Amino acid sequence: MTFKDQWRFVRNNMKRSKSRIFMTVLATAMGVAFLIVLASVGFGLHTTFIDDIISDRSVTKIQISGIEKENDIAPITDEEITELEKVDNMKAVTRQLSLRQTPQFNMEDYNGRVETVVTHFPSELKAGMELKEGDLPEDPYEVVVGPHFIENLYPEDLPADEEIYDEEGMLKEEFKYGESLIGQEIEMVVEQNVDGETKEHEISLIITGIVEPPARDWMQDRQVYISDDVLTEVESFTETSRGAIVDPNYPEAEQEVTGYNYVYGYANSLEEVQEISEYLTEENYLVYSAASELDHLNTFFTIAKAGLIFIGTIAIIIASIGIYNTMTMAVTERTSDIGIMKAIGAHPKKIKQIFLLESSYIGLLGAFIGTVVAFVISILLNIGLPLIIESAFEQELPEGFQFSSIPPSLIVIAAVICLIVTVLSGLKPAKRATQIDVLKAMRREI
Amino acid sequence: MIDVKDINHTFLLGKKQNETALPVLKNISFSVDKGEILAITGKSGSGKSTLLNIIGGFMKPTSGSVWIKDMNVTNLNEGEYADFRLDNIGFIFQNFQLIPSMTAFENIELPLVLKGLSEKERKKKTEQTLEQVGLSDYHHHYPSELSGGQQQRVSIARTLVIEPPIILADEPTGSLDSETEQEILDLITGLNRNIGITFLMITHDEEVARIASKQIHIHDGEIVKEEVSA
Repeated sequence: MTFKDQWRFVRNNMKRSKSRIFMTVLATAMGVAFLIVLASVGFGLHTTFIDDIISDRSVTKIQISGIEKENDIAPITDEEITELEKVDNMKAVTRQLSLRQTPQFNMEDYNGRVETVVTHFPSELKAGMELKEGDLPEDPYEVVVGPHFIENLYPEDLPADEEIYDEEGMLKEEFKYGESLIGQEIEMVVEQNVDGETKEHEISLIITGIVEPPARDWMQDRQVYISDDVLTEVESFTETSRGAIVDPNYPEAEQEVTGYNYVYGYANSLEEVQEISEYLTEENYLVYSAASELDHLNTFFTIAKAGLIFIGTIAIIIASIGIYNTMTMAVTERTSDIGIMKAIGAHPKKIKQIFLLESSYIGLLGAFIGTVVAFVISILLNIGLPLIIESAFEQELPEGFQFSSIPPSLIVIAAVICLIVTVLSGLKPAKRATQIDVLKAMRREI
Repeated sequence: MIDVKDINHTFLLGKKQNETALPVLKNISFSVDKGEILAITGKSGSGKSTLLNIIGGFMKPTSGSVWIKDMNVTNLNEGEYADFRLDNIGFIFQNFQLIPSMTAFENIELPLVLKGLSEKERKKKTEQTLEQVGLSDYHHHYPSELSGGQQQRVSIARTLVIEPPIILADEPTGSLDSETEQEILDLITGLNRNIGITFLMITHDEEVARIASKQIHIHDGEIVKEEVSA
């Protein structure tokens, strides 16, 4: 008996009890839709969180915060940088030093105090640093600034009785420096306490470029990126390491500081991040990357999704009771037909296959309808939920927030679970069909 | 063609552990040659149907064996016997045993479907067989739309379509009027003469048994008379 003929049998049999089959398929579809929608929340939140991590910072970036040496954590120095740059698949190693005071910057009639860092531009370029405007410095006294640097520059004639910030806490447009910063001369004023008196030193710098803004709107970069030569000048004036201001209350300021404040390694791809991180950990470096965060997040969400799928499976198992009932009734109704078929030479295996095919068909049809329904619910959830939250809690969800997501893998999982459960529930009735006594089925006298 | 050797069969009646043994067949032995029509006659309850069910593989005898085409079929399991039946044995039942949801064509086609023949081949054979039994115009009729005689013809056609060497018939005319009975008996004798099909038929009707080349009479589970027609 070919599969095509078995399929014809199943279809003819199902036509005879349309309403019962419809209700059973409906119950299965509801179970599948419940499973998919439930698990889709896990998938949706997982996707949202991953997107959040990936868009917040470069996923190929590895933060290297120090190295363990003789039971102590030491900062990364040029010695380690050389080693780090030799690590396989390491694209670039960026490093920054922070000035230990916040200098004042004067530009025309504007001034303000801004965090200042010394950065290694060749490695930043290799890591993919891009400028929003202008060019990288070529001269030691040329600098680039962060895209929000302008926010820290205030006009000298700032009115005392007027609100200078807008609703978002940003400097109002009318108080901002209105000209292009590129090519502007800026005066960096560093201070030092000498015998109780504050002395100032001015260094003249030229702005050559503005760095690209960070990935997220809420992140701001107001820094000024100076060169090693400028730092050397600052240090020679303050006579302290990294320009720290001498303060009798804080003797630590006079201590010599070594190593970089921020060191980041960059891998070529996300896969290599894990490999490099593992290697660096073995070499006693303290590393942290978005990849490791993703790893933890993936573990958490995998467990959560498995739990949701398990709960959803219970709904399908409940639906399978209906399938069992339908198949049992089908076998009972067709006892006479089965008896005749067996009498003329139908192998019990074929009879079993026909009934298993029927229960599988109910399962697959239920899975298909359930998936379509789940997609509709998922779309409605993603559209409706933010609106409900916004109106009920007056809270805006982050951009790109996805509450429910149905990846192809979830559809495959749901279909496989549904198929297994329906085949299992059809197994006993199918076996019963093979055990039907031909003589009893044909109601013959013995 | 068929050898029945020392068949004994006992039914156990009543509740388990308190059963009563009821012997229905006692040392039954006979043989049917190729191309023969054998009629087993006897009153109701004589054990003739049980004997046919054992030969057809629907029951296992308590002891003894059945050999068909030199094969001991008593030892075959249900699946093996089903395959054997599909290739070698056709059945004609008293109450026709047609599947009511299938048309005459589909009922006749069923054994060919079970054999896995192609649709084209099935159509050809089924149409030929329908013609053979004189039902060419009843392709799409359901059993409920046919007379008793026509239903029995469909039942015979379903048996013939696989061209079996042996046909077992259980009271083939038991549900028919005398006129239709003669038509069916003519069909059976015609098939026997023209195609050489071996028939083993049980009947309580002496008139029907008369078409057989050999008759066996059973009484209380024992063969009491065996006669060969002239």
